[in-house]
Order: sequence, then C-alpha cells, then structure tokens
Amino acid sequence: MDVSTRRALQVWLALVVLTLLTWAVGRAGLGGGPVIAGILLSVAVKGQMVADVFMGLRAVRSPWRWMVSGWLLMVLALIGLAFFTGET
Amino acid sequence: MEQIASHPAAGQKKALPGDFAIWIFIYAELLVFGIFFLAYAYTRAQHVELFNTYQQHLNRESGAINTLVLITSSYFVVMAVAAIRRGAAGHCTRWLILAVLSGSVFVWIKLAEFAAKHAEGITLSTNTFYMFYLSLTFFHFMHVLMGMVILSVVALKAYRGAYNAQEHTGVETGASYWHMVDLVWIILFPLVYVLH
Amino acid sequence: MKYQSQAVAKPYFIAAIGLFVGQILFGLVMGLQYVMGDFLFPEIPFNVARMVHTNLLIVWLLFGFMGAAYFLVPEETEHELHSPLLAKVLFWVFLVAGALTVLGYLLVPYARLAELTMNDLLPTMGREFLEQPTITKIGIVVVALGFLYNIGVTILAGRKTVVSMVLLTGLVGLAVMFLFSFYNPINVVDDKFYWWWVVHLWVEGVWELILASILAFVLIKVTGVDREVIEKWMYVIIAMALISGIIGTGHHYYWIGAPEYWQWWGSIFSALEPIPFFMMTVFAFNMVNRRRREHPNKAAVLWALGTAVMAFLGAGVWGFLHTLAPVNYYTHGSQITAAHGHMAFYGAYVMIVLTIISYAMPILRGQEAADPRAQVLEMWSFWLMTVSMVFITLFLTGAGVLQVWLQRFTDNPQPFMVVQEKIEVFYWLREAAGLVFLLGLILYVAAFFVKGGERVMASNAVADTA
Ligand code: HEM
Ligand code: HEM
Ligand SMILES: [Fe+2]
Repeated sequence: MDVSTRRALQVWLALVVLTLLTWAVGRAGLGGGPVIAGILLSVAVKGQMVADVFMGLRAVRSPWRWMVSGWLLMVLALIGLAFFTGET
Repeated sequence: MEQIASHPAAGQKKALPGDFAIWIFIYAELLVFGIFFLAYAYTRAQHVELFNTYQQHLNRESGAINTLVLITSSYFVVMAVAAIRRGAAGHCTRWLILAVLSGSVFVWIKLAEFAAKHAEGITLSTNTFYMFYLSLTFFHFMHVLMGMVILSVVALKAYRGAYNAQEHTGVETGASYWHMVDLVWIILFPLVYVLH
Repeated sequence: MKYQSQAVAKPYFIAAIGLFVGQILFGLVMGLQYVMGDFLFPEIPFNVARMVHTNLLIVWLLFGFMGAAYFLVPEETEHELHSPLLAKVLFWVFLVAGALTVLGYLLVPYARLAELTMNDLLPTMGREFLEQPTITKIGIVVVALGFLYNIGVTILAGRKTVVSMVLLTGLVGLAVMFLFSFYNPINVVDDKFYWWWVVHLWVEGVWELILASILAFVLIKVTGVDREVIEKWMYVIIAMALISGIIGTGHHYYWIGAPEYWQWWGSIFSALEPIPFFMMTVFAFNMVNRRRREHPNKAAVLWALGTAVMAFLGAGVWGFLHTLAPVNYYTHGSQITAAHGHMAFYGAYVMIVLTIISYAMPILRGQEAADPRAQVLEMWSFWLMTVSMVFITLFLTGAGVLQVWLQRFTDNPQPFMVVQEKIEVFYWLREAAGLVFLLGLILYVAAFFVKGGERVMASNAVADTA
C-alpha cells in the first residue's frame, strides 16, 4: 500500500469515527450551543478531508482549492450563525 | 470527455482532477446546495419549536448508516482512481463497481425512508420542516442517482480498456462528481437529522 | 456564400426586419396611449396594439431563427439544404398566415375573430403571446414541421457539429413547447401552468440553446478560434441553462395557486438562471480576445458582444431583481416586469437575430462584409437602439419601483389609477426613448442601402491587424 492509499484509508477511518460521534450525539438527544459548535467543527474537518484527500484538491492550484474550502467554511459559519440567532 | 483545450488552470501546481467542465458543475452544485442549506437554517431560526419537534420524527439511524455508506463508496472511488493511475484497469473497474453497489445501498435505504414518510401521509405541504427535509434529501437523492449513472458509464469504459495510466481523465471526472455528492451529504446529515 | 441553398435565408431576414419595424411602431402607439388614453381611439385600442406588438415580436424572431438555421446549417453540415423549394414555400405560407392574423387583430374585434376562426371547436385564444386563432396556430405547427424536416434531413445527411445539433435541439424544443398552447384548461391554475410551459420554457429554456448556437457559430466565423474550445463552453452553458431554467419555472408558480414549496424551489433555482447568461458573456469576450483573425465585418462582432452583455443584463440582472419570492410578492405584474421583459427580449433574442443578420446579409449579397460606411451606420444604429433600450428599461424600472412603493409597499397603499398618474413622467420619458429606438431602427434599415465604392475591406483589414 503506497502513501496516498494509506492516507485515504486514514481519512475514511476518521470520517467513520466522526460520523458515529455525530450519530451518538443525536441519539443522546444532545443539543444547544456548544454541541452545535462542536458538530459544525467536526463537519468542517470532515469536509476539508474529503476535499483535500478524496477529491485531491490539496495538490491543486489555490483558487480552485479555496473555492471549495471557502464554500465549506462560509456555509458552516452561516449555519452556525442561524442556529445561534434561532436559539430561544 | 476530453480535457478542455488550453484552459488557464494548467499552471505549475496541478490542475483540477478530471475534466474542467465537471468542476464548473461542481461549483454550481455546491452553490445551490449551499443556498438550500442556509435557507433551511434561517427558516429554522424562525420556527425553532417546529423544526426541533419534527426532527425527532426522522429516522436518524438510516441517515447515519447512509453517511457511512457514502463515505465508504467515496473511498472505493479513490481506490479506483489510484488503480488506474497505476494502469490497473481491472482493479479500477472492480472498485468502481463496488462504489456503484454502495450507491445502490444508499438508494435503497433512502427509498425506505421516503416510503415510511409517504405511508404517514407526509408531503411537501405538510409543514415547513418536512418541506425542507423532503426537498433537500430528494434533491440530493437525484444527485446520487446521477452519480451512479456516471460511475457506471466510467466503469464500463474502464472495463473495455478505455483508460490507462496516462489517459484517465474520465475516471477522475466521475470521481470528482461522486465526491461532491458525498461532501454535500456530510453537511446535510448533521444539519437536518441531528443539529438542534 | 459557400452553399447555394443558403440563399433561402435572405427573404426570411428581410421579412424579420420588416415585421420588426411594425412591432416598434405599435410599441410607440401604446407608449403614447399610456399617457394619452384616447390616442387612436377607437381605431386601435390598447389591447389590440399590445397583441400586435408582442405577436409581431414573436413572429419576426421566428423568421429570424429560421433564417439563421437556413444560413447556418448548410455551412455547418457542409451539405446543401435538403429542399430549398420547401423553404421558399414555407416562407410564403408563414408570411401570409402572419399577415392575415395581424389584419384579423386590427380589422375585427377579437371576439368576432374567435368566432370567425371557429375558436369554440378547439379554444386556444386569449392568452398573452398566444392570442393567435387556432388555425394560425395549426399553420405555425405545419410550418415548423416542414422546417424541422428540412433542417433535420440536411443535418442527418451532412457533418454533425455541436453547433448544428444544439440548434436543432433548440428548434425542436421550440416546436414541442408550443404544443402546450393547444390546451386551454378551464381551471385557471392549470391554465397558468400550460401558459408558462410555453412562455417560460421558451425564453428560459429551449430558446437559450438557439441563442447559444447562433452566437457560437458567429464567433467561430469571426474569431477563427478552435471549434473544440467553443464546443466545450456550449455544453456547460446549455446544461446549466436547462437545469436552472426547467426547475426555475417555479418562479411563476408563487401566486397562481400552486403549492407553497414552489416559493423555495422557484426562488433557489431561478436565482441560478443568470449563471449561464454570465458564462455566455465571459465566453464571447474570451473568444474575441483570443481571435486568430481580424474579420472585416466589425459590425457583426459588435452585435455578438452586445448580445452577450445585454442578454446578461436583461435576463440575468433584471431577471434576478424580481425572481426571489419575497421580492416578487411586491413586484409581480408591475412595470418592473415590463422593464425586464423589454431588456431581456431585446438583449437576448432581438440582438442575436440582428447578429446573424449582420454577419450573413453581406455574404448573401455577395460580399464578405458590408462597405465600411454602411458598417459605421450600422454601428450607430446598434448604439442608438441599445442605449435607448437601456433607457426604456431604466424608466420602466423607475416607474415600477414607485408603483410598487406607492401602491403595495406602504402602510397606506394608494389606488392603481392614482399611482399611475403620479408616475406619468416616466411613461413620457419611455416614449421619448422609444422614438430614439425607432431612429436607430431606421438607420439600421438605411445601412442596407448604403452604396459604397469598390470594396476596400481587404486593405483595411490588413491595416487593422498591423
Ligand atoms: C432571455 C431570457 C428572458 C426573457 C426573454 C424574459 C422575458 C420575460 C417576460 C416577457 C416576462 C413577462 C411575462 C408576463 O407577461 O407576465 C417575464 C417575467 C419574469 N421573468 Fe423573465 N425573461 C428572461 C429571463 C429571465 C431570467 C433569467 C429570470 C430570473 C433570473 C427571469 C425572471 C422573471 C420573473 C421572476 C418574471 C415574473 C415577473 C412577475 O411576477 O410579474 N427572467 N420574463
Ligand atoms: C425591440 C424592442 C422591443 C421589445 C423586444 C419589446 C417587447 C415587449 C414585450 C415582451 C412586451 C410584453 C411585456 C410584458 O408582458 O411585461 C411589451 C409590451 C409593451 N411594449 Fe414593447 N418591446 C420593444 C420596444 C418597445 C418600444 C420602443 C415601445 C414604446 C416606446 C414599447 C412599448 C411597449 C408597451 C407600452 C407595452 C405594454 C406594456 C403593458 O402591457 O403595460 N416596446 N414589449
Ligand atoms: Fe421565467
């Protein structure tokens, strides 16, 4: 197994773990500010891993790469904002 | 699909994997999904009670399993690309078939979920939460089907020996699209099924 | 002219320009009626003038599209047109049917026209843009079938290029969508659905394919840029146009009795519709910047670039302005709609037809490009028409904003007619801009009659490139 396929396997594992974590949080019925922030952060990490390693954007010239990362961060930040303003 | 002639991203660092045209789609799709997600989040902010209540009625397990399924199939696609870069067309084909098979697992689980909601008489007009839940998941569902079609075509071409270690733009093109479908679901699942 | 049969395009282009003049005259009549209600009463009531204005628009654009196809397809397929005779016969059929229909509008009351043409057998009349008597509609379908047969057989027999395949798809789509006009449901919600499936799926769907292919054809010819580059752009533009445009139909479902979720679907997808128009602009400028030759027909290049810009402004920017449901809630059916309708139709479809005419007419008359003096005149007409259309749009937008504000948005909404009086000044200005438009159009026609000395284009072109 060469470096790149090993990295892909590591990313896969990390994605699985984070997903199970998210599911467990949902199952436990946890919610509220810190939980939301934590989950969104984990989504940011997951998304960036998919973009960088699976899509292979890490090696790509920056504007194209940043358009995906920027999208990810912006969407997650704005989602976070919406959830905090909606907190009753 | 052949590479776009003389497009500007052919600089020092690498160009985008696959055909440049697919990336225009990917960016456009990300834009639509982004707008859809934000529409969900900001509408929820005005109906927190409603969203929190009906979120409880979703099948979180099937959402989580589907996330695992998509992540795994994305991994298979990565392996398919790695295989063809080595020139192993046979391996590439097999990984692609595995990816399509996992895609169909996603489809089955999703269909079961839709069927359950349908049996409860839930439609787009039931309430705002279900409108978003059904719209978002259905729109994503269509992308999964589309991605499966693309990957199947690529698999078939790989099987017929259309790709090799030097020329495999088609594989990378299909792979890029499939990862986008995965990426979007990675946000969609926590947003709609978990966050409250 | 490379192929003899391309010549059949010429009468189509001439008829298109003739009807265009008629359309504008009726626009001016209506513009005056807006501020002087009894102008030409009772000879030409506003509703009749409106019908003539919009129907002539559609008919002359169809003439233009058909002419474009007859010109472009032989050249793309490298094959003579299947039947030039059929094209000539259909030309006369279409022209006579169109003329009779317009005369019908003008000479007999609409209800009587409906009776005379036995509308009750298959009622299709009475909807904007689709007012034609049923037999005219049938005539249009017959002409369209003959035309598509002629073009289709030619394409099948010859070289198949992306440009001609996309054009054919767009033209087939145009004919197919028109079939929705034959069904006129009693239920008003259904009725609106069918109407929009013609109107919206035309201008924000299949017509965009026609637009993209004609634009690509002209750009290939005047820039000499590689076909492959242009074709890749076309695929992407077309896919984006169809995906956003088809679901984007939802931006007309907000208030017609369709389910509420259309406010979301319509808003989100139609908000993407400007993207293909924007890509077309980038594409056109990109191609011209990369040009490998200086084509002597400068006017055609100007028209092509103008189309790309104005289509984006009219459809993309002015469309986006009122496409989101919360905005459209206030602007629906106001002068903002009319502002957008004018700039979009002009920028996209009027200008693309004028582009292909500008490119093809000199060739059909045996020159590569018109005399420089004629071109200068044509460019003047370009600027006069385009700038005055921008002003018509701005004045109508001003009228629309005030209208929406006074009549709908404030705490004390005022009645329609009270508001109309307050915004009258904008209607006067619109009429003035309309007169400038007419002047531009007159110059446009005049440019065809400019007689030059012997052609000096060749040496000119050399000087330009140097
Ligand atoms: C070249 C392309 C286009 C043309 C020729 C065009 C033309 C028109 C016309 C004539 C109408 C008025 C229909 C009526 O009688 O009610 C209209 C309505 C409308 N158009 Fe377009 N349009 C184009 C593209 C677009 C695009 C790209 C958008 C959105 C981004 C858009 C958004 C709208 C909306 C929202 C309405 C409804 C206005 C209302 O509620 O009154 N259009 N269009
Ligand atoms: C190439 C140029 C033109 C095009 C493409 C065009 C197109 C159209 C279209 C699509 C409509 C229907 C709009 C809607 O339903 O919202 C319309 C209506 C109208 N047009 Fe034009 N037009 C042009 C030039 C003019 C000119 C020069 C004038 C007058 C100065 C004019 C005056 C009007 C008026 C008064 C209406 C009726 C609006 C209403 O019902 O309130 N048009 N035109
Ligand atoms: Fe529309």
